[in-house]
Amino acid sequence: MANPKKPSSEENLKGTLIATFGVGLVIIIFWVIAFDLYVGRF
Amino acid sequence: MEIHKYEKWWLVFGTGTLIVFLIILGVSAFHSGTHPNNSKRTINYEQVDQMEPFNNPGVHKVEGKDWDYEVVLVAQAFAYNPMEIEIPVGSKVRFIATTKDVIHGFEVAGTNINMMLEPGYVSEKITTLDKAGTYTIVCNEYCGAGHALMYSTLKVVDPDDNNN
Repeated sequence: MANPKKPSSEENLKGTLIATFGVGLVIIIFWVIAFDLYVGRF
Repeated sequence: MEIHKYEKWWLVFGTGTLIVFLIILGVSAFHSGTHPNNSKRTINYEQVDQMEPFNNPGVHKVEGKDWDYEVVLVAQAFAYNPMEIEIPVGSKVRFIATTKDVIHGFEVAGTNINMMLEPGYVSEKITTLDKAGTYTIVCNEYCGAGHALMYSTLKVVDPDDNNN
């Protein structure tokens, strides 16, 4: 609040990045499991 | 406009996965021929019994085609004709199915064979039955009071194994 510039904001977004990639990876893992099930069946 | 470094990473990752998914979709559709199980053929559902090939439901071995067997199947409330299908393992099969009355389902449980059978339309699926076993065919579209009793059996048998 005191500092209008944002040199420290990069650090603050690390958790956001990890959380977002976490959600993305969960989506991809479930997609790959479902796709593998589809490809493996006749 | 300034984009945060981490946001750029995420945008690259998101766009990359989108492109990968579209490539997989394109290869499935245009190379592997994955499409809805509709033969684009229409028939008069009141004359199914008199019409080729549905006047002779069952398993037919065929020669000179891309597939080894044709399974002609007619659904009606609340049964399938034929009641049992037996195919040697490894055969390429073309399933041709329709219904005589209301909408029925044709799902071979545990496989990718899952078609909707609509009155007046012919549904088709070509696949290679490469895993031996006994599969239950179920109706997965509610079709009336006897819906839960509507089933048939697909036996994929190994000719060398007498236990099947």
